[in-house]
Amino acid sequence: MSNRLFRLCDKLLAIAHKDFLTGLRYRSAFFMTGLGVVAELAAFYFLSRAIGPAFRPQGMGYFPFLLVGAGFYAFLMMGINSFLTSMQESQQSGTLEVLMTSRTSPAILILLSAASAFSRNALRLLLYLAAGLMVLSSVHLRYENLLAAALAFILSIVIAVAIGIIAAAIQLGTHKGSAVMWLFGSVAWLMSGTMFPVTVLPRPLLWIAKLIPITHCLDALRFSLLSGTLQGVGREIAILAAFSVVLLPAGLLIFSYMLKRARLEGTLSFY
Amino acid sequence: MGGIIFESVSKRFRHRPVLFNWIGKERAGETRALDNVSFSAASGRVMVLLGPNGSGKTTTLKLISTLLLPDSGRVLLAGSDTRTDSSRARRDVGFAVANERSFFPRLSARENLDFFAALEDVPRDQRPKRIRWALGMVGLHPDSDTLVMKFSSGMYQRLGIARALLKDPKILLLDEPTRSLDPASAMQFWKLVRGLAQQDSTVLLATHNFSEAVSVGDSVVILREGKVAARKDLHYESAEHLRSFYFQVTGEPEEKMFLAAGA
Repeated sequence: MSNRLFRLCDKLLAIAHKDFLTGLRYRSAFFMTGLGVVAELAAFYFLSRAIGPAFRPQGMGYFPFLLVGAGFYAFLMMGINSFLTSMQESQQSGTLEVLMTSRTSPAILILLSAASAFSRNALRLLLYLAAGLMVLSSVHLRYENLLAAALAFILSIVIAVAIGIIAAAIQLGTHKGSAVMWLFGSVAWLMSGTMFPVTVLPRPLLWIAKLIPITHCLDALRFSLLSGTLQGVGREIAILAAFSVVLLPAGLLIFSYMLKRARLEGTLSFY
Repeated sequence: MGGIIFESVSKRFRHRPVLFNWIGKERAGETRALDNVSFSAASGRVMVLLGPNGSGKTTTLKLISTLLLPDSGRVLLAGSDTRTDSSRARRDVGFAVANERSFFPRLSARENLDFFAALEDVPRDQRPKRIRWALGMVGLHPDSDTLVMKFSSGMYQRLGIARALLKDPKILLLDEPTRSLDPASAMQFWKLVRGLAQQDSTVLLATHNFSEAVSVGDSVVILREGKVAARKDLHYESAEHLRSFYFQVTGEPEEKMFLAAGA
């Protein structure tokens, strides 16, 4: 058991090392992303100033509302997209077929690749939140709900992993994963309450918003990090747990089915 | 040990539009890639799949590596069915794929092999030695710290072979392994393949190059349009006789065949 765990950690390190080296050797992209984060934060700051302090969605200041919402939305969506892009890149470069014949099972491989992507994105998220909270605003995080925030964060990652696995499966099955993800990302951006509270949406759209797991991820994180009370957090965490229990096994099943189908049809490396 | 049994295997590829491509005008119907193909390969021997383009060589290798699953028939590796126990195939089979550029371009040859070695469960402390050995076997040791984006086609091909050797496979699948190699490197590679077979590995090599087949193989399975046209033991056949036989069964123009043989 410990030997198996050791091998798993070794593989995770190898994937993270490969991703780190690749990222390092594309230096310009790394710096561009950093500049993009700074520009986005500045835009949110001035937007919240233009709207004024009277607008307090869910009882919070608008800048921290935007900061947490957009920061975690980007974190989760980048994580979800990493499944799709790693699948597309390995199809295009031809590494997918090699990886699929390695001793590491496809499901483990995709989960480890995602873990590496999430750690990378987590660093970006931390920088984003730290810069936003310390440099641009006098907002303080509420540490009394840190446990609830950690739980909401972990469940959000589980949900993002599940959606990411489904995205990779869609890419395997339809070769149009990016189009499907673009649609999902746009709908989630509009209706998950990233920029404004979902309560302003018309009733039918509000129902759709409630069916998008990201909406509950953002609500749970905002309530636990910014509101200072546990009111509403418990309910959101329960919803996130329910989504996790359904989506993760469903994602793995769909991926396994699509992989088997691709092996039968000979379309594994099609894109 | 690591023998292969390919039992009445058929494989078809359907030409149909992928989902969301309703207005596509792709070719309808299907291609029969393999039709009731049977053969077996014993450990300690080099078997060559010889045939012109489109004869089903790569499909055969992909079926053994579990990249494809058969529509009917069975592929057995040391007694295990690839359909029900694909993890066994992943454990025992090393596949040097024909796609030359299946590497991470911004990593060096050594870094690429280190990544793949980790996924192949090569212990961390043994990896540097194994990588040095594999790179040395294909003559890439002096280029081990070069980013692979700077590699030529032949270097990519040799690196692919080094990658397949990393896991010390019981069954080694080689798809057109000397396609981009110069004659000297090809001859050196054939020696390496013979050496691996002597260490009790099963080597299955797919090629359309007749010279390669007779230089390296113990036996040959000639494929034509997805069917086995003949099985020959190269220790009991003269090269000249086999050459005329190959020309006869594949129906390839003789000039073209001689050009391929001389490549």
